[in-house]
Amino acid sequence: MRSFAYCTADDVSQAVTKHGADDRVAYVAGGTTLLDLVKLDVMRPAQLVDINRLPLDEVETLDDGRLRIGATVTNTDLAHHPEVKAHYPLLSQALLAGASTQLRNMATTAGNVMQRTRCPYYRDASAACNRREPGSGCDAMHGINRMHAVLGVSDQCIATHPSDMCIAMAAIGATLTLEGPDGKREIAFNDFHRLPGDQPEKEHELRPGELITHITLDTPIEGAGAYYLKLRDRASYEFALASAGAIVAVEDGVIREARLALGGVATKPWRSHEAELALHDQPAAVSTFEMAAEAAMQDAVPHEYNAFKIPLARQAIVRALREACRDAENANQQR
Amino acid sequence: MMEPSETAAQSAETVTVNLIVNGEPRQLQVTPNVVLLDALRDELRLTGTKKGCDHGQCGACTVHVDGMAINSCLRLAVMCEGQHITTVEGLARDGQLHPVQRAFLEHDAYQCGYCTPGQMMSAAALLEDERIAADDASVREAMSGNLCRCGAYKNILEAVQDARREVAAGTEERS
Amino acid sequence: MDTQVIGHRTPRVDGEHKLTGRADYTTDWYVDDMLHGYPVPASIAHGTLEALDIEPVLAMPGVVAVYHHGNFPKLYRSPSSQAHQDQVSEVRLPFEDERIHYDGQYVAMVVAERYEQARAAAHALQARYRQDDGARPGLLLTREDGRPMESEGGSRGDPDDAYERAPVKIDCIYGIAPESHMQMEMHATLAQWRDGRLIVHESTQGVVYQHKAMARIFDMPEEQVEVISHYIGSGFGNKLFMWPHAVAAAAAARELGRPVKTVLSRQQDMASGGNRPASRQRLRLAADAQGRLQAMRHDSTTETSFVHPYVDSVGSPTLSLYACDNAAISHHLLEVNHGTPCPMRAPGEVSGIYALECAMDELAVALDMDPLELRRRNYNHEDPAKGLPWSSKHLDTCYDSAAKRFGWERRDPRVGSMTEGDEIIGWGMATSSWTAGRQPCMARVELRADGTVMAACGTQDIGTGTYTVVAQTVAELTGVPLDRIEVRLGESSLPAGPLSGGSMATATTLPAVAAAVRAAIDELKEVATDEDAPFTGADPEGLTLRDGALVDEQGKRVAFAELLAGQKLGSVSGDGQAAPGDEQNQYSFRSFGAHFVEVRWDPAITRLHVSRVVSSIDIGRAVNPATARNQVEGAIVMGIGMGLFEKLDYDPRDARLINNNYSDYIVASHADMPDIDVELLDNPDYAFNEFGARGVGEIGLTGVAPAIANAIHHATGKRIRDLPITIDKLLVG
Repeated sequence: MRSFAYCTADDVSQAVTKHGADDRVAYVAGGTTLLDLVKLDVMRPAQLVDINRLPLDEVETLDDGRLRIGATVTNTDLAHHPEVKAHYPLLSQALLAGASTQLRNMATTAGNVMQRTRCPYYRDASAACNRREPGSGCDAMHGINRMHAVLGVSDQCIATHPSDMCIAMAAIGATLTLEGPDGKREIAFNDFHRLPGDQPEKEHELRPGELITHITLDTPIEGAGAYYLKLRDRASYEFALASAGAIVAVEDGVIREARLALGGVATKPWRSHEAELALHDQPAAVSTFEMAAEAAMQDAVPHEYNAFKIPLARQAIVRALREACRDAENANQQR
Repeated sequence: MMEPSETAAQSAETVTVNLIVNGEPRQLQVTPNVVLLDALRDELRLTGTKKGCDHGQCGACTVHVDGMAINSCLRLAVMCEGQHITTVEGLARDGQLHPVQRAFLEHDAYQCGYCTPGQMMSAAALLEDERIAADDASVREAMSGNLCRCGAYKNILEAVQDARREVAAGTEERS
Repeated sequence: MDTQVIGHRTPRVDGEHKLTGRADYTTDWYVDDMLHGYPVPASIAHGTLEALDIEPVLAMPGVVAVYHHGNFPKLYRSPSSQAHQDQVSEVRLPFEDERIHYDGQYVAMVVAERYEQARAAAHALQARYRQDDGARPGLLLTREDGRPMESEGGSRGDPDDAYERAPVKIDCIYGIAPESHMQMEMHATLAQWRDGRLIVHESTQGVVYQHKAMARIFDMPEEQVEVISHYIGSGFGNKLFMWPHAVAAAAAARELGRPVKTVLSRQQDMASGGNRPASRQRLRLAADAQGRLQAMRHDSTTETSFVHPYVDSVGSPTLSLYACDNAAISHHLLEVNHGTPCPMRAPGEVSGIYALECAMDELAVALDMDPLELRRRNYNHEDPAKGLPWSSKHLDTCYDSAAKRFGWERRDPRVGSMTEGDEIIGWGMATSSWTAGRQPCMARVELRADGTVMAACGTQDIGTGTYTVVAQTVAELTGVPLDRIEVRLGESSLPAGPLSGGSMATATTLPAVAAAVRAAIDELKEVATDEDAPFTGADPEGLTLRDGALVDEQGKRVAFAELLAGQKLGSVSGDGQAAPGDEQNQYSFRSFGAHFVEVRWDPAITRLHVSRVVSSIDIGRAVNPATARNQVEGAIVMGIGMGLFEKLDYDPRDARLINNNYSDYIVASHADMPDIDVELLDNPDYAFNEFGARGVGEIGLTGVAPAIANAIHHATGKRIRDLPITIDKLLVG
């Protein structure tokens, strides 16, 4: 792997200063994406700023009931955190559906948000990839694109966002706290990742040198049920072909509120407002779920090898909604 | 902040890293781009930890860092300053094999043996982790980050569950 | 043969080494002054290397040399003869010319002081290529059929006529994607030159073969080359014969006068270190109304690279598996722009049996007959391909036993008829088989004055348990406990032993070890009956070695250690050899078994998994039932990968390998493991060798994928003939 310099930082402002908004400098926390890609010569940092010593490893409930998660909380700790298990089961399920025990022990919350696509052409430094090298073309468009996105695609890029955690966060709703050379700011989770459009290299709204310091989850929906379903080639340790994260609140057999986000099929963590609209105030029945699935996938654009993802995602949606409704009914009965 | 020219000049230089490896303080001189896996093998000659993919995709390089099982191929050695590293060479204590090692031997939970150190490190960690349920399905899921191309999964599962009984008995004895 | 140790479960004698990290795999070797070689792979699959920008790389930290077509020393090609044991995986030498025949072909090798320096320099090396049009991306991505391979054909009777006249027939085409071995330890070489001798540590399944091939390539006397492989992170066939990285490392070490270690990256290993070639197979089967096979025709095409003609003999089992008077096989070979294929676990047969056993299932459906019953009705008692009786065939027992344990009689043949909750349950079965072979072998055994016994053979243990079964053999014949037996393997300077491949190592090695033990015991008896020895004047014939002691007919016993010490001898030794003999003209040798598979199919979410596998396998005697069973269980896991997951993906446009890593090439994980119930029948095949063991490495894999495919049909009604059966095919198919 290419050589680079390395330093640590003890607090956020020091980290931001050491980074210096230099595009050849990268923050490193878990390292599971960064080092993987440096070894492939896809990412080429001249310097790393290690942020593991920053005091960002706490999970705390805020006065307004929201849950604030520090950037360096590991995926494992977050998945098993009592508050998360009790109030955000979708997040816990999604985290545990991702990667492996070891990777979850390393990977951090903010790092997971910054996870890069698994597109093989992105990961091959000698292939054409607009995301990696703007203007170089897209080898995936007419290549082996079985794993690629059908939602949010452009004629420049069809790379899938690989995260499971982010699907749960997209459904739950969250706010990112960022800190950079120009100070602190906040951004809604669902506004953070960008669609590829004609600038696929711009994956997110981070400004140069900015660091994600916290992710604050919206207050949980009272009495809701949740279910994360991940469909993949093997049973574990594998990226999604399609996944669906559903949160539904059901009253007297009617869906009062619904959240639905999709993974494995889109260029960013995909919140489906179309599906949510189709679910709202409708009976918690398969026919409703199927309508929602249709709505979610109506704008999907297939390529040569990934057309199957459209019906597969519909299936994931219907089943996830069914299970989330059952979960909600169980919760209702217990109350 | 560091100027780019400075960055380039410094990058090839070695840095000193202090680790506690299998209970012993060790000092290394490595460049920042050396991962823990290569540092353990190339510098400390602790070759029990194996490289199977170098990208966090197979689990052969699993070690414990401060008690947590991680892929040592995706962790820079410099990031481990001051941390406790346990490798397969440190599993046995006082000349006694760890219960996981004994169970692997007894259940023939391996063939070629190359993924085995990683399998055992994951197994030893999960047996200490109360957050991972004890049923077979949970163990299989928790162990899925360790691929075994020989396919000795059945015997590995039996070994892990057998070791669990021994670890539990040992814990009771101590308490 | 009533045995004490052989046929009994015992922990591996090398177990503690593997479990404590002490086992010395090739990658674990470090020597003074060692350099790291890192190959630079081509990033095109078809074209020419036009330029390499070497100078900037030579200036990088730690870089010592860059070898390429322009400066690589001239070497000789190995004749690559199996008969002379100098076979190599790729006859083309590294950097031989500037043509690029496959993605990942080495265009250079960087040698540097440290590993990261070598890798960084390899990434930095700029290469310019001229990419040619018309790359052939793979057999299954083209309609081409290649050239006929007459030597792979065979026939009996008149299959075409019989096919035409039969009342029930099927005609189907099956495809199997190219697969990767994915052995956990990548190919690795440490090459050192000492006083003109070449010493190579290699992760190899054949120290003797590599030793001879190196001698040819460097034009040296064989005695000047040594190849060492004490522990191997498995191979599954791709470490049988040497690959170019080893030649590059050895040449660099010679040029630089320093040891060079080259461990391929996973990406390089997958692109250039062997694969199971894709196959396309057309099966035509015909039966009478009672299900008796009237005709079998199996026409196959496999692929190979442009640099080495590897033929995967997929049709070969079809002529032997069932009773049928009219049968024919044919073979074509097509060159494609892939890295060179090579044997992979149950080479040829596993692919051919996939097609044949799926076709049998399709025929059973056409006949409206239970698929197990169809196999029973076509049971044979001799090998129709050779016209010889089977040495020991108990496939009927395998069928009975596995079917009973599985509960096959409860199978409702109607598609999708067995359900549980959201899931549909599918049951399928297939026959499993692998030919039994033996090679000539030599071994040496020493009885030592310290009471230990040493057995040595130039074969190796790739994880199958060869160290252990050799120790068991010595223990059986000497009565010495296993912990006092030292087994030395994996060095080409030891008496020449076999490849660890083809399920032949055990059957080949143990008779030679036994002969060496007996020779050593004879030597001991000579010593014992010498003047001033404990049994002076006694007839050596009247002495026996029991529990580590010589005993005469009167019951006098002297431990061999005591005897040797008394005679001031450090040891006595015996050389043994064994080879297949006349039995090969009397019998046909083959192992058989059966797999029964349950899949669970959730059609509403296109989720399928293998939930249960019940197998009965007859391998003759299992020398160590624990390690033998482990082989079959592991093969079942690999078979799930073959059936459902595994596929090397080459870009149809330019033949570049897209999924060259352990994440995108999917093998079965812990969570994919079904409930596995393996029974090994215990029917020693004494016609084959004195221990009755036919070997076990390959057979477990054969029949798994077709049993899965057949179970999938039973659950889903979908007949998916192209492996792997992935979610996209299940959704659409």
